[in-house]
Amino acid sequence: MTQFLQQLTNGLSIGSVYALMAVGYSLVYSIMNFSNFAHGGVIMLGAYFGFFGLTTFKLPFAAAFALATAGTALVAIVVERVAYKPLRDRKAPFLYFIISAMGASMFLENFVIATIGPNPKPYPPIIPREPIALGDLALGRLDLIMFIVSAACLTLLVLFIDRTRLGKAIQASAYNMKASALMGINTDSVVILVFALGGFLAGVAGVLYGMKYMVYPTIGAITLKSFIAAVFGGLGSLPGAVLGSVLLGVIETLVAGYLSSQYRDLIAFVILIGVLIVRPTGIMGKAVEDKA
Amino acid sequence: MLTVRDIHVSYGGIRALKGVSLRVEKGEIVTIIGANGAGKSTLLNAISGFLKLGSGEILYQDKLLPKRPDRVVKAGICHVPEGRLVFANLTVEDNLRMGAYLRRDKGAIAADLDKVYGLFPRLKERQRQIAGTLSGGEQQMLAMGRALMTDGDLVLMDEPSLGLAPLLVQTVFDIILEIRALGKTILLVEQNAYKALDAADRAYVLEQGRIVKKGPAAEVKADPSVRAAYLGTESNTAG
Repeated sequence: MTQFLQQLTNGLSIGSVYALMAVGYSLVYSIMNFSNFAHGGVIMLGAYFGFFGLTTFKLPFAAAFALATAGTALVAIVVERVAYKPLRDRKAPFLYFIISAMGASMFLENFVIATIGPNPKPYPPIIPREPIALGDLALGRLDLIMFIVSAACLTLLVLFIDRTRLGKAIQASAYNMKASALMGINTDSVVILVFALGGFLAGVAGVLYGMKYMVYPTIGAITLKSFIAAVFGGLGSLPGAVLGSVLLGVIETLVAGYLSSQYRDLIAFVILIGVLIVRPTGIMGKAVEDKA
Repeated sequence: MLTVRDIHVSYGGIRALKGVSLRVEKGEIVTIIGANGAGKSTLLNAISGFLKLGSGEILYQDKLLPKRPDRVVKAGICHVPEGRLVFANLTVEDNLRMGAYLRRDKGAIAADLDKVYGLFPRLKERQRQIAGTLSGGEQQMLAMGRALMTDGDLVLMDEPSLGLAPLLVQTVFDIILEIRALGKTILLVEQNAYKALDAADRAYVLEQGRIVKKGPAAEVKADPSVRAAYLGTESNTAG
């Protein structure tokens, strides 16, 4: 039982970081109906921004964190302006968006390899390694921080989308861009806002992930998992993305804990394929015909 | 109030509008009739800023109309789109409140909401219902009410009677007259030429991207060529 709870808490922790990444995918998907594969590159840059903030610039953690998240929000907006806006203006088919997204992703990755180098770098030790004992459970401090920070960011995001005027504009645009424009909503600004929010969350995820493991140029590949989680939960649905991510994180750690960590990714992909066969729109996905 | 001056619009390699000019005066109902594909919706989408003008200009209240949809709304033109495009996942009332997105004056918004509910008692009954579950006629009323909530003075309506049962078609045209009575000006695009010409003060006939006829609605209605082309099958137009 203790081992199960231990795995469960680890799973919740990594699942919450997947959720930060998956929500970025889902936000963009809900507005633009394509999967922004450049998101992984932005997360990777977030990890590097945080790393250099802490090491090269010797910033306190909060400042490095702010630098990383502001930086990734900005990068995400630039990616939108350079890689997607010209396509939007020409009303290009969605396949072109995906190709452009892959191009942007490869560019970001190779840019970092060329300028910084391919070797993994460890974050400086900020969080003490000793776990907090809770009965028989040993809770990693970093795991706890990952969970709390992720949950806080996701809560703020939900409040923003549910309660504010701009959030309503995002909801309306996710439903139908033309109808939103007819309400006087500047849909181009909504797109920028969505990329900024996704970029900010990517920065948070990048720093947390970098602290947990290391920083390296292909760290963005991890977003394949969060993408699976977003599809699993239902692309375009934020609660779906969070649910899918947490489930994936928990399943992964349980598989790694009870079977073997070699089966971890295999199982993740089997689940994805299984869900897509039974429910092509994911657990909480919106029906495709909803989109005009 | 609105002056469209010699506009050309192309998209997808097709020249959809080839030099269209028209005027709408304050308080009028002006209708544009024409066959499917004549360019009627293109014209409204060009006014609303969804399509780029190849050439020509559009003036609203003697000023050049902005070229972005949200700014057109801000300038005072609202648009009831073809296919209604209500927010199917929101309630009736939230749909109406989305119409007031650009407005800040809570008192005026509440007053307009009452006005819209007065115009559409049906929507009042269903204010908490999810819009996607409304009937086609109710969704059309919601789309009209939502446009009125923007407080625009000029209302563009794109095929408001399309796909409605005959009884509801009459209701929609009655409502159009009531909307005018609220002090609005209406530019109406319709396939149901018969009803549209009955409701309108003036009419333009659009054929293959060009205005081929214009005048007082009664005159256009009496024109033999219009009768032959657009009014011969009145009973079919409601379906």
